[in-house]
Amino acid sequence: MQTNFSLTALADAHVSESEKILRACVHCGFCTATCPTYLLLADEADSPRGRIYLIKDMLEEEKPATPQVVEHIDRCLTCLSCMTTCPSGVHYMHLVDHARAHIARTYTRPLPDRLLRGMLAKVLPFPGRLRLALRVATVSRPIRKWLANLPGGAQLAAMIELSSSFKRRRPTRRLPGATVDRPRGRVALLSGCAQQVLGQNINEAAIRLLTRHGIEVVQPIDEGCCGALVQHLGYESRALDAARHNVDVWTREIENGGLDAIVVTTSGCGTVIKDYGFLLRNDNAYAQKAARISALARDITEFLHELPLQDGVRTTGQVVAYHSACSMQHGQQVRDQPKSLLRRMGFVVREVPEGHICCGSAGTYNVLQPEIANRLRARKVTNIEKVKPQIIASGNLGCITQIGAGTRIPVVHTVELVDWAMGGPLPDVLEGCLG
Amino acid sequence: MTDCYKPRDECGLSSAIKDAATAKMPLVVRGAGSKSAMGRPLGGYAMSLTTERMRGVSLYEPTELVIGALPGTPVSEIDRMLAKHNQMLPFEPMDHRVLFGTSAEPTIGGIVAGNVSGPRRIAVGACRDSLIGVRLVTGRGDVVKSGGRVMKNVTGLDLVKLNCGAWGTLGVLSEVIFKVLPKPARSLSVGLGGMNDTTAIAALTAALGSSFAVSAAAHIPASIGSDSTTIVRLEGSDGSVAYGARELAKLWRSFGRAELIEGDESANLWLRVRDAHWLAQPMDRSIWRLSLAPSKAPHVLADIRQKLGVRYFFDWGGGLVWLAVVDADDAGASVVREAMANTGGHATLVRASSEMRHRIDVFEPLPPAVLKLTQEIKKCFDPDRVLNFGRMYAGI
Amino acid sequence: MSKIRFTEPNREILARRDSIINDLTRLVDPAGLITSTDECRAYETDALTAYRKMPLAVVLPKTTEEVSAVLKYCHDTGVKVVPRGAGTSLAGGAIPSEDAVVLGLSKMNRVLAVNYDDRFIRVEAGVTNLSVTAVVAENGFFYAPDPSSQLACTIGGNIANNSGGAHCLKYGVTTNNLLGVRMVLIDGSIIDLGGDYLDSAGLDLLGLVVGSEGQLGIVTEATLRILKSAEGARPVLFGFPSCEGAGKAVADVIAAGIIPVAIEYMDKAAIEICEAFAKAGYPLDVEALLIVEVEGSDAEMDATLADITAIARANGATTVRESRSAIETAAIWKGRKSAFGATGRVADYLCMDGTVPTGKLSYVLAEISKIVQRHGLRVANVFHAGDGNMHPLILYNANDPSQQSKAEAAGDDILRLCVEVGGCLTGEHGVGIEKRDLMRCQFDDADLVQQIRVRAAFDPRWLLNTDKVFPLDFRCQG
Ligand SMILES: Cc1cc2nc3c(=O)[nH]c(=O)nc-3n(C[C@H](O)[C@H](O)[C@H](O)COP(=O)(O)OP(=O)(O)OC[C@H]3O[C@@H](n4cnc5c(N)ncnc54)[C@H](O)[C@@H]3O)c2cc1C
Ligand SMILES: Cc1cc2nc3c(=O)[nH]c(=O)nc-3n(C[C@H](O)[C@H](O)[C@H](O)COP(=O)(O)OP(=O)(O)OC[C@H]3O[C@@H](n4cnc5c(N)ncnc54)[C@H](O)[C@@H]3O)c2cc1C
Ligand code: SF4
Ligand code: SF4
Repeated sequence: MQTNFSLTALADAHVSESEKILRACVHCGFCTATCPTYLLLADEADSPRGRIYLIKDMLEEEKPATPQVVEHIDRCLTCLSCMTTCPSGVHYMHLVDHARAHIARTYTRPLPDRLLRGMLAKVLPFPGRLRLALRVATVSRPIRKWLANLPGGAQLAAMIELSSSFKRRRPTRRLPGATVDRPRGRVALLSGCAQQVLGQNINEAAIRLLTRHGIEVVQPIDEGCCGALVQHLGYESRALDAARHNVDVWTREIENGGLDAIVVTTSGCGTVIKDYGFLLRNDNAYAQKAARISALARDITEFLHELPLQDGVRTTGQVVAYHSACSMQHGQQVRDQPKSLLRRMGFVVREVPEGHICCGSAGTYNVLQPEIANRLRARKVTNIEKVKPQIIASGNLGCITQIGAGTRIPVVHTVELVDWAMGGPLPDVLEGCLG
Repeated sequence: MTDCYKPRDECGLSSAIKDAATAKMPLVVRGAGSKSAMGRPLGGYAMSLTTERMRGVSLYEPTELVIGALPGTPVSEIDRMLAKHNQMLPFEPMDHRVLFGTSAEPTIGGIVAGNVSGPRRIAVGACRDSLIGVRLVTGRGDVVKSGGRVMKNVTGLDLVKLNCGAWGTLGVLSEVIFKVLPKPARSLSVGLGGMNDTTAIAALTAALGSSFAVSAAAHIPASIGSDSTTIVRLEGSDGSVAYGARELAKLWRSFGRAELIEGDESANLWLRVRDAHWLAQPMDRSIWRLSLAPSKAPHVLADIRQKLGVRYFFDWGGGLVWLAVVDADDAGASVVREAMANTGGHATLVRASSEMRHRIDVFEPLPPAVLKLTQEIKKCFDPDRVLNFGRMYAGI
Repeated sequence: MSKIRFTEPNREILARRDSIINDLTRLVDPAGLITSTDECRAYETDALTAYRKMPLAVVLPKTTEEVSAVLKYCHDTGVKVVPRGAGTSLAGGAIPSEDAVVLGLSKMNRVLAVNYDDRFIRVEAGVTNLSVTAVVAENGFFYAPDPSSQLACTIGGNIANNSGGAHCLKYGVTTNNLLGVRMVLIDGSIIDLGGDYLDSAGLDLLGLVVGSEGQLGIVTEATLRILKSAEGARPVLFGFPSCEGAGKAVADVIAAGIIPVAIEYMDKAAIEICEAFAKAGYPLDVEALLIVEVEGSDAEMDATLADITAIARANGATTVRESRSAIETAAIWKGRKSAFGATGRVADYLCMDGTVPTGKLSYVLAEISKIVQRHGLRVANVFHAGDGNMHPLILYNANDPSQQSKAEAAGDDILRLCVEVGGCLTGEHGVGIEKRDLMRCQFDDADLVQQIRVRAAFDPRWLLNTDKVFPLDFRCQG
């Protein structure tokens, strides 16, 4: 597509990168058809092609973001379904990141929105604060209906609502790593921020799986948030700081003992870590190191899939609906490995109709855009239930909680199931569910 | 009729029509100039115009599957030419002579003007679907072309389709171009006996909902012969037809024992279906042609039969009903149209006395908004109303 | 720089914008009325991005009645209307005018009825082409026309452009698979043409509406013929060391009376582009590739393929590769269907759509490459060869104004050539604005005048998609 940037604008590395992306888009519209928000809203301004076009105009004209543009970019789930669809290889993720940063720079959000976003950015990436916040949420449950009527209250209410779906998962503390005798490999396992608090059992399962296969697991104590949350909220420099910090931490591990992979059990984080190389490409001090980190990043299922895997020891055969997180299938293009692991363990894996469409979780989206998120969840649950599963498996904590809040069918992380099949403990939520 | 224009070419055709338009003199347009017994009667016009001298194949590229002809070319001539290259007009146009008891050979212009299609219509489309280009002379005498000789073409408005089935009310065709098909290597029929209308249509529906190269599907009820015949025709390569026949027999097991009909017997059967052979005699019966969704056909027929004595059979898997009305003072129009009223389909009075065709709407009456459009279109092709004025609808 | 002209916007209408918008709020649901500059911007162009115009406003009605109310209002107050489906037109058919309201059908996307016994499906016009097949696929049926854009394009747009696709060689294009429409005329009246039966009553207005590019009315519902899928289908890749060989093979297959389901052509440039995206296993060491799909029982496919293979070999085919699995088949078609989009990876393109007699394919291919070279540009060819519908993609740099005009000039030359050899300007993409000014190459004034008169019978004030299809100096006549 034709673009119209001034030479001075193009001198900016971000702009010139975005210009390249825009040039590749031929405005064919294929992506509209697989975009969740276009499916629901049917307005081209809520489609990838439309958003790309609005972003193009905003960047070309070096205009401050307008409320309308912000509204449509905010509605984007960053599910990246559009990138899977795009025949022309348009890197929507980088473009929308740039747009979000531009919005953060040029647009003042209404106060409630600002507070909420600020709070999310200050709480979610920090496990200690998150634990506290969850306690607050539990006590505020009774007032959520009242809250919903305040400006920005719908989002707060959504947050409280959602936090209650964590009930079935016990908040926990961070795990130490695990060593094995004569390891055949050594990996760093990302702790994850929310996951440390809400889904520790996932990493416990991952560690058991890895060590069972002779892989030593390290969990560097000073590792921080991957930066995805702040990145999607438009806090670009914080995201870069988070990236640099983790690059340093893992580089240190590489230098002291070596790493075969940086294993991630939350696909949302995996997508961003795999992108560190790009994020820090213009930072001379970090570009190379970051590229090395990105190259080492693996989703846990990718990593397991490449190992000579042990056999399962339990009676399986349960029907599992595999829900592929957007960050998994679109962000990382990891599609078959999780399913083939589950099949290998003897589960009957069913594909979910409309599997390419987001469940509405999308990081903080279900808090910021509760209405669309709820519609997407309802749609997702209906589709999942069509295949009549006993268990739903997914590779991303966000999806697990989002879907879990909409169905009585238990939702677990893929590795929890694989671990159980190999002799690990039964995941809590499956207690009494497996006949 | 004493006076008749017989132009030899498009130029002559154009000047004839211009003459008529200038004189505001309505013309009856004919192909072979044989049948005044069709459509609404055009009584009392002094002049007619026939395309019988404009004949000959104008373009034939067997390797590109296209043929073009002047309007007065007898269909049989085109068929012969195509047969030399083992090709055919896909839509299997009927030969009206059986029904009208006439002898003049049907012309290709007349076929196009009537969008005349036979049993294969359900598989490969109607005349309008094979027609890819026309030249015509409008009621103003203007020579206009639309479409061309290539299969895919969306350049400008599709006046090709508009004129196909317009019964010469908009323009006189001066050349028509079709895409043609290779003749199937093999053709055979599979039949079932002893079925009532409802189960027969169900059997045809099952066959048409299969993947076995069904090219025609008809049901001739017991009232016509001694026993009912429910048949489908399979066309294609040797292997696929044989395979399809076997599979179809299996598919039809719940309906009865399927019988194979091959060679001339099969071919003759389909000629009779095509030409509505069973309804032709006696000649004084009015004949209707109903087009509707197949699943509705048995009910509509049951409804009509309660009120009227009729002979009938189904083509197009039930989607086309041919109906001869035994005796009724309105040719059965009130009963037929009432039975059709809520089906969405339409009924055409194909054969009836001139008096009857004068009294009754021959073609399905149009809703007001569509009629208005039809009038506007007539006006823009033929403002002086010289061409077959009133043949389709009063005022058109 | 831009060669294509638009009519001067009507100042009086522009001046009334606020009151028009105000009136529209009473006619459609607020969520379906878009008026801010930023949001309207998303509608300013379609897949022919070289041209753009900001509309007065965009309405996205949800019902036929809303469409009727909007059209009646526009008719009564003289406001132009540009219908829009998914905006995938490659001819600029959905590009707005500044004094026009864009009427988008995207919110009318419900499936209304499916009837397997009578083999039809009734849908609203905003339903996408692929989702029609998706609905009926579980029962083994499909909707035949399959434009490459089928994932996104709407049935309404397909009807307006008489869209075709790879599988139309055997099954025909939209007009051959459409049984009926509900449409709204510019004065707001709602009419039904055709229905759930064959051959509509009266004049074939249904046939006229197909391909009329949104100038006769707005289609809001359609009844489509669905077909039972064949038992099996198998695409085969034939690689040729020369374009001429491939072109000749196509002509020979048709001449031999073999009608496969699809014969698609790609030249080297296109093969490389598509393979990079779809990883379909296209041979990279050939100059031209044919994707030929046959269907039926295994025995039947074997027999047909043997005949086709013999013809391909006789024309020098060096590679013959059958798809061995459903996954491979999907990849082969995904590559082909993504061809235009994937071209965006290497360059901007103008996509031509002329049709030529199949016997002229080789000649025209050779001429096209000369023409494009003469203009100093490159070309990739990927198209529906079986019916002679060519899609040369003229590659250029859209940010270089001189290349833009060279590309357009090359396109014009190619289309003139198509007409000269007995073909036409557009086989399936429509005239839009892109080929509007070339209409005189194909039609005499008398032809065009008659078309314009018919158009005026539906829309006497020329309010529907005004700037499209007919040369601008042609409208007042009639
Ligand atoms: C109501 C009705 C329904 C019929 N239905 C069928 C049917 O379903 N199937 C079928 O096979 N036959 C049908 N027929 C018969 C059909 O008309 C003839 O088979 C065919 O038209 C014979 O061609 P002809 O050359 O004798 O034409 P003619 O009898 O001379 O003319 C037939 C019609 O075509 C017009 N016409 C002829 N030449 C041209 C031309 N060059 N340009 C423009 N108009 C021209 C005439 O004005 C006339 O309206 C029907 C007839 C009628 C009246
Ligand atoms: C990558 C790519 C590949 C393509 N491949 C093919 C192909 O293989 N075959 C093919 O035929 N086309 C192809 N096209 C062209 C395009 O997709 C088709 O023309 C399609 O039918 C347009 O549908 P749409 O819904 O996007 O309509 P739009 O682009 O929105 O509109 C197209 C035209 O239809 C009119 N219109 C839309 N909806 C209505 C309605 N409801 N009532 C009246 N008028 C209406 C518009 O005014 C406009 O004139 C391709 C396009 C792209 C971008
Ligand atoms: S699919 Fe890709 S090229 Fe097409 S419009 Fe979307 S982003 Fe642009
Ligand atoms: S990331 Fe998802 S929501 Fe955002 S534009 Fe792409 S497909 Fe739509």
